[in-house]
Amino acid sequence: MRLFNYGLFRLAVIAIVALAVLAPLVLVFYQSFLDAPFFQPSAKLSLDAYDFVTSDSDFWDAFANSVMLAAGMTAIAVPLGAVLAFLMVRTDLPGRALLEPLLLVPIFISAIVLAFGYVVALGPVGVFSIAAKDAFGFVPWNLYSFPSLIVIAGLMHVPHVYLYTAAALRGLGADVEEAARVIGAPPWRIALTVSLPMVTPAILFGGVLVFFLGFELFGLPLVLGDPQGLLVLSTYLYKLTNKLGVPSYQLMAVVVVAIVAITAPLVAVQRRLLKSANRYVSMRGKGVRSDLMRLGGWRWPALAIVIAWFTVTVAIPLFGIGLRSVVTSWGEGVRLSEVLTLAHYGDLWDYPNVVRGIFNTIGIGVIGGAVAVGVYTLVALVVHRWNSGWTRLVDYIVMAPRAMPGLVAGLAMLWLFLFIKPLNPLRATMISVWLAYTVVWFAYGMRLVSGTLLQVGPELEEAARVAGATTGRIQRDVTVPLVRYGILASWLLVFLIFAREYSTGIYLLAPGTEVIGSLLVSLWGTGAIDMVSALSVINVLIIGLGLAIAMRLGVRLHA
Amino acid sequence: MPDLVIDDLHVRLGDNDILKGVTFTVPQGQIVALLGPSGSGKTTILRSVAGLEQPYRGVIRIGNGVFFDGAKGINVPAEKRGLGLVFQSYALWPHRTVFENVAYGLKLRGVAREELARRAKAALAQIGLDHLGERYPHQLSGGQQQRVALARALVYEPPVILLDEPLSNLDAKLREEARAWLRRLITSLNLSALCVTHDQVEAMAIADRVLLLEGGKIVQSGTPTELYSAPNSLFAAEFMGANNRIQGTLEALTGTDATLRVGDRSLRGIARGVTRLGSSATGVIRLERVRLADGPGENRIAMRRAASMYLGERYEHVFETDGLSVRIFTAAPIEGGERWLEFPHDALWIF
Repeated sequence: MRLFNYGLFRLAVIAIVALAVLAPLVLVFYQSFLDAPFFQPSAKLSLDAYDFVTSDSDFWDAFANSVMLAAGMTAIAVPLGAVLAFLMVRTDLPGRALLEPLLLVPIFISAIVLAFGYVVALGPVGVFSIAAKDAFGFVPWNLYSFPSLIVIAGLMHVPHVYLYTAAALRGLGADVEEAARVIGAPPWRIALTVSLPMVTPAILFGGVLVFFLGFELFGLPLVLGDPQGLLVLSTYLYKLTNKLGVPSYQLMAVVVVAIVAITAPLVAVQRRLLKSANRYVSMRGKGVRSDLMRLGGWRWPALAIVIAWFTVTVAIPLFGIGLRSVVTSWGEGVRLSEVLTLAHYGDLWDYPNVVRGIFNTIGIGVIGGAVAVGVYTLVALVVHRWNSGWTRLVDYIVMAPRAMPGLVAGLAMLWLFLFIKPLNPLRATMISVWLAYTVVWFAYGMRLVSGTLLQVGPELEEAARVAGATTGRIQRDVTVPLVRYGILASWLLVFLIFAREYSTGIYLLAPGTEVIGSLLVSLWGTGAIDMVSALSVINVLIIGLGLAIAMRLGVRLHA
Repeated sequence: MPDLVIDDLHVRLGDNDILKGVTFTVPQGQIVALLGPSGSGKTTILRSVAGLEQPYRGVIRIGNGVFFDGAKGINVPAEKRGLGLVFQSYALWPHRTVFENVAYGLKLRGVAREELARRAKAALAQIGLDHLGERYPHQLSGGQQQRVALARALVYEPPVILLDEPLSNLDAKLREEARAWLRRLITSLNLSALCVTHDQVEAMAIADRVLLLEGGKIVQSGTPTELYSAPNSLFAAEFMGANNRIQGTLEALTGTDATLRVGDRSLRGIARGVTRLGSSATGVIRLERVRLADGPGENRIAMRRAASMYLGERYEHVFETDGLSVRIFTAAPIEGGERWLEFPHDALWIF
């Protein structure tokens, strides 16, 4: 008599995942068709909320701005990312080994930290703005403008396009380029007419991804767009909280439905593109990697472009926020030597919520990350090499939260904890934050773990099966021991993602559930720039430490 | 131990019929080889027996123990069949030592610790690797890994051992040694074995019986001698050995005696499934059966030598005459120019 039935266990795991992932979405849809918050007994079905939102001109402005922002940043990120990938993978650009990890930094640093950095570095009274004013008599840029927002967002998303293009280029045989070279094409010509066209599906995927991320964008438009009254869908949603003075859940739900209605098809398109991109790469030419293409005199201008991109996207904002965190005040005529202080860091310890936030951030990264990877591993194992409709179902289920921007997922999770009475006591604990993070990053985590699992040759598992091991036993004795380093690497990456996360925790922010990210957003609202700067630096340091460990262990920084 | 019986096995992958009704028996104590080109379904048979592939029709059983019965809906999972399988890639677990690899099957069967150590050591001794138990698989040579894979499959004394291209990962020299060693080990332990291979020399060397497969069906089965010396189809004749192919038309047929018309010449041979006079027919003769003759005679043709190659232990020559090209072996070098070649009529099969 067997006490443990693996088949039932499988279905139970799938059911729990489906519940955790789909319940928040279903709740949001349900709420959007009510005329009052779901917890009010008087709430009844109605389309009033849709009427209200669709007749609000701010909503349509925000919608148009979101589309423009997404399109604009895609237009900037795609060509830059593609060219960067070609330079890094196919040419003898100097210092590639050093540049490679730096290129991925914008992915791992919180966008809200970079946004603050831009304000204190390039804002009207920013460090560099004042220097420029001293030099030229005026500030040659205006940070608080829509074009600035688009350019910054575009530059920050170059790594996303770079990653997919570079991966595809690495898979491309050198012979196709050599053929062009022998015929007489110079490097730039080969890039434009041979290499990049051959990896078009990967570039396209990167483009759709960036366009999609444009709708998710929250930190940048909040910090850079809000002061000029520029709203995008996510900031419109955020502002809606206070719009009517009472909790306008039904209106927020409608905005969420609108956002998901845009992002869900984009997620579906990405899925399709990823498949075709993989097909394309497998059609590559043959031949081993030959020596790299020589850029000749173009090496240094090319390097200068890469360094300029890194300076504007990462170095300037980080320098700005770092400097701002060690001065008492900043403005015209201030002399650095007179204002230097470390007091802001000391002051942080006077605020119990900030102290909790720092420890919670480390805790959710280290412990929450470990538990989340445990969950991802369990689900990945359940569908591992299981040829069945259920596997595809799980694939689709875990993609669903991708369509929810972090802000939205946090809100949906808050409602879920309010809606389901037994969960109420957990709402103001880190468990709610952990659940929201785990659900939001489900697709990412599953991709990390299942990619690792697939590296175990199927015959190693079959050998155990023939020897007499059951599925559970095979996974315990063969699969998991073989992938333990891969799972460790996944934990590090999930740590980085969780420590960086800011938008998912915003609606869950309560005494006890503070994390640095959500604290930063709320402190920014109160204008506490000293604390924001110091806390931002601490966040960057935590992530920097994680990145250093990851690189020391040789973890690949992308899934 | 009882025989392994496979009856009318059908396997389909998607819309692809991989096995279209395969029936055979592996008698106790015999080695049966599944031989065929890639895509003929030989590995699918092995994986179906192991339980790693699911057929949709047919029966797989050992004695009265049914593993699979399509009609009755019985399908014993692989881990409950208790068979031994040696993978083509060996599939040794890289995170376990040689000893742990071998002992795993016993551990799964709840064998007590001392007993387990004793039996695993005995299995390692059997393959001559008892001194390497503490090593990890990557520290062994290819030949040693292959032996460990075999010990791992033998240790829990399965009724039948399944071998998937067991020698294909070894280099040519090692393969011949391993072949002899493998056959000796299996026969000395009086085991039943089912072995998949695409190499006809390997199949004939190892097996008591050879099943030749094509397109998901068994086209011929028999002892290696039967298969080599009496192929019943053109496919079987050409798959085994090195052959000369002679295209012509069927000129005469009396009983098993057939005459092949090639140009303006006639060759007498053994009829193999040809019936219609005047229809096109193919004569097949093994390279080693064509003889040099000293002058004209029955089944002899004068041909010119076009090329000559030294192969080490013998010589190979190409002879040509209008439209006909024939290769032969000789033990010693021969003179060039025109020679008479004899095609002994009992060695020439006409399909």
